Amino acid sequence: MHPAIRRMLRRLRALTHRDTLEQELDDEVRLHVSLEAAELARLHNLSPDDARRRALLAFGGIERYKEAHRDARGVRWLDDLQQDVRYAARALGRSPTFTISAIAILALGIGACTAVFSVIDAVVLSHLPYPHDDRLIQIFERNSPTNQWPLSVADFQAIESWQQTFTDVGLLRQADVPVATGGEPQRLSVGYATSGFFRALGVTPVVGRGLGAADDPPGAPPVAVVTHRFAADHLGGANAAVGRSVDVDGVAYTVVGVLDPSVTRLAGRRGDVWPDARLKPPQRRGPFGLVVIARMKDGVTMDDAARDLARVSRREFVVWQASFQDRDATLVPWSLRRVMLGDAPKTLILFGAAVVLVMLIAVANVAGLMLVRAAGRWREVSLRAVLGATRGRIARLLVTESLMVSLAGAAAGIALGILGVRVLQVVGPQVSRLGDAHMHVRAILFAVGLALVAGIVIGAYPVLHLARAGAAGGVLGGERSVGGTRRTHAVRAAFVVAEFALALPLLAAAALLLNSFVRLQRVNPGFDPAHVFTMSVSLPSGRYADDTAIATYWTRALNNVRTVAGVVAAGLADQLPLSGGNLDANNFDLVDRPVPTGTAQPVTPWTVVTSGYFSALGVRLLDGRMFTPTDTGGPNPVLIVSRSWAHKYFPDGTAIGRKLVSGGCTSCPPSTVIGVVSDVTYTNLGDVPEGAYEPMTQGWGRTLALVVRTKGDPAAAIPGVSAALRSVEPSVTLADASPMAERFSASIADPRHVASLVAGFALVAALLAAIGVFGTLSYTVSMRRREIGVRLALGAKRQAVTGMIVRRGMAHAALGAALGLVAALVATRWLTSKLFEVSPADPLTLGAVIVGLLVVALAASWAPARRAAAIDPAEAIRAELTG
Amino acid sequence: MADRADLLQGTLDLLILKTLVLGPLHGWAISKRLRQLSDDVLEVGQGSLYPALYRLEDRGWIRAEWGTSPEAGGRRAKFYNLTADGRKQFAAERSQWRLFSTAVERVLKAT
Repeated sequence: MHPAIRRMLRRLRALTHRDTLEQELDDEVRLHVSLEAAELARLHNLSPDDARRRALLAFGGIERYKEAHRDARGVRWLDDLQQDVRYAARALGRSPTFTISAIAILALGIGACTAVFSVIDAVVLSHLPYPHDDRLIQIFERNSPTNQWPLSVADFQAIESWQQTFTDVGLLRQADVPVATGGEPQRLSVGYATSGFFRALGVTPVVGRGLGAADDPPGAPPVAVVTHRFAADHLGGANAAVGRSVDVDGVAYTVVGVLDPSVTRLAGRRGDVWPDARLKPPQRRGPFGLVVIARMKDGVTMDDAARDLARVSRREFVVWQASFQDRDATLVPWSLRRVMLGDAPKTLILFGAAVVLVMLIAVANVAGLMLVRAAGRWREVSLRAVLGATRGRIARLLVTESLMVSLAGAAAGIALGILGVRVLQVVGPQVSRLGDAHMHVRAILFAVGLALVAGIVIGAYPVLHLARAGAAGGVLGGERSVGGTRRTHAVRAAFVVAEFALALPLLAAAALLLNSFVRLQRVNPGFDPAHVFTMSVSLPSGRYADDTAIATYWTRALNNVRTVAGVVAAGLADQLPLSGGNLDANNFDLVDRPVPTGTAQPVTPWTVVTSGYFSALGVRLLDGRMFTPTDTGGPNPVLIVSRSWAHKYFPDGTAIGRKLVSGGCTSCPPSTVIGVVSDVTYTNLGDVPEGAYEPMTQGWGRTLALVVRTKGDPAAAIPGVSAALRSVEPSVTLADASPMAERFSASIADPRHVASLVAGFALVAALLAAIGVFGTLSYTVSMRRREIGVRLALGAKRQAVTGMIVRRGMAHAALGAALGLVAALVATRWLTSKLFEVSPADPLTLGAVIVGLLVVALAASWAPARRAAAIDPAEAIRAELTG
Repeated sequence: MADRADLLQGTLDLLILKTLVLGPLHGWAISKRLRQLSDDVLEVGQGSLYPALYRLEDRGWIRAEWGTSPEAGGRRAKFYNLTADGRKQFAAERSQWRLFSTAVERVLKAT
């Protein structure tokens, strides 16, 4: 056996068989002494007792020797630790209020930090579930530093043929379409992908095969890969799925592979079925909106990829010049990781900063409590010092105590953190991979590490102070001498000031975010969401192949819906307001004032609607006319624009009668603006509400959004409307039926969640600061009891005493708030991008926060101040005389 | 105590190993053997003997076993025994000691 291992085993045995070893040691010593005694008796003719005494003497102190032996055994520290822990537990148990509040406060801080750490770890720090994820990019098209958009089929094919820096390039078009496996079709997420998409990610199915290059040509037999979940729910399990047929939007695909159970998204995009995209050759450069990803070859840098893509862009421009004149548009690579993260890091850093502040306040708070407690133990510690405890030993006892508190805090904090992660997942902002977050080993180590640091910090000052006191020997001085030293006072005050200084920026951030959210909520989206519901309706593609059949269905269905009881108005649109980033927008060029050749055309949200859509949503006609059934395109296509659009492009005159060319189609006839309607926000609340509308009669879609205005509760009309839609075509797929008010509140869910979470942290911070000032003042009052009694006896007014205590608390709070204000002014500037119509230095908000925090401080100071005023002078003085 | 010599740092291990070359002994017997062999010149403090035994055991040079001791009237005693490593160590330490002591002697003899 290796000596090191043998030694380790021996040490281990020393730990596990302590009693046996002690017994053996005892036996050995006993034997030695008795043999020595016998020897002495024989040599010197001593009586057995004398001999034994001399033997013991010669041995030189059995206990001391045993100690030396134990030291050699290497278990001394363990005995001491056990003793320290036992002692600390006893000491903590004697003051349960202190112990419980300290543990609870630390648990709050550690729990919050650990929960946010878990989320940051899962979302930001961990790798994407693809091999060498640093080599994966998504490609966008960009014509200015602030304007970029996803690609088109033409772009993808240009990159695929001419690139030199990628091993694989893949395309993905995501759509929610009807999917059927024999029964009723259901609307599901579908990711039409090329085989390169899977190769670039490095994802292969667990059952069957993946998509191959042979599946890509438009003429190839349609095949698809499905998720494990889809196979289990619809195809009788993963193994039975391969070879089955899935109807995706009217096309029958043969399932060739099933993905791993853990895969529900690829490159951050949801999909239940992944059919091969089988791209048809494009007729023009657009339309855009497709996800194109690529895997860079080894050794290729982002700059190399950018240069390669720029070269491809120049070559592609020449090919499609007829339909796309923006010479500035260049293909650019973005790290896929960064694209998937979006602005999650910014939001999470905000949470991180908030919880760090909460943690610091918690530590300051417990450190303050610890100091108060240490002051009360002056006598005990001095006594220990006098009785021979070394300074190191006293320090160790105190550190053990604070570490026990902080580790207990960590244990409770981890439990809180598990809860916190769930809370963040439920009410947190939409962040990719947030669902993957859970309390794992790293997070637990983080919590323990945090607790150790916190334990050392909260124990530091009392240790330094009391260890010094141990040497000074203040038995007679009593607790007042330490409670009253200027230095301790200053440190305690500093903790309170720090708590307020840390709480203020957090409160300021929360108030600014809430203020911004309230303003955002008050923004008029341009329609009245009450009494309106929307629903997505899809026609099966098999029976509805030509435009006439589709138009006939929609016309009959709308007529039916309008007769349903309670329905006031109904219309159709290809997209709904408040679609955020998933919006269809179109580029256009004004015939009167075309943009210079080679520059970018303006872009605006582009919605295709029936005229009933405007009345259903409550959008008013301001100028010109509405669509009529005769607006069927042909040589004279028409458009309606929003007020903001008209004002932006024709500020001085009417927009009616103006002509424009859309989608970069130079060969198409120009559209004429025939009407101006009130604004509706199509992107996000707070954005400029401009937009253009095309009449549905110029081209119907198979999947449309139905907008219905009702007399009463909109949800109540949903079953009737569904029946009306099905009465015309039973196999129609209905999905996402929900009141417009829900859509409205969902559109501002993220700002609401961010604001409420930060507000939650801020409230905790304010509460802890209040506890801090309350605890410190309570202690001050109890220490100055006699002095206050004397003051009262000498005729001081009780109000004056109250004022004295309150003033002290308020002074600390005000100083902290002032320092915090400076910090807040610097820190909240960072919030600018998250604020809507609120300046990060908004004086009203910051003023309100300061006043609020001071009111909290006042409330917290009031109780100790009242207690001071209620002191009975006679009793206090008697205590002075007898004490 | 002029007739008693303090042990030179580091020589205790060598002496303990030496006493065990002839066979296993328990703690008291080791100290007695040392006294006898040195004609009562070397007195090992018990406070250092037992920790030293523990140390040697820890290093794997001696092995301890419980047995009965006839001189203690059949009481349980812990017997220490040299291991193979211990023998090697003893040989090494002995030659080193000889080298050292002759060198010291030579220096002292020089006139």
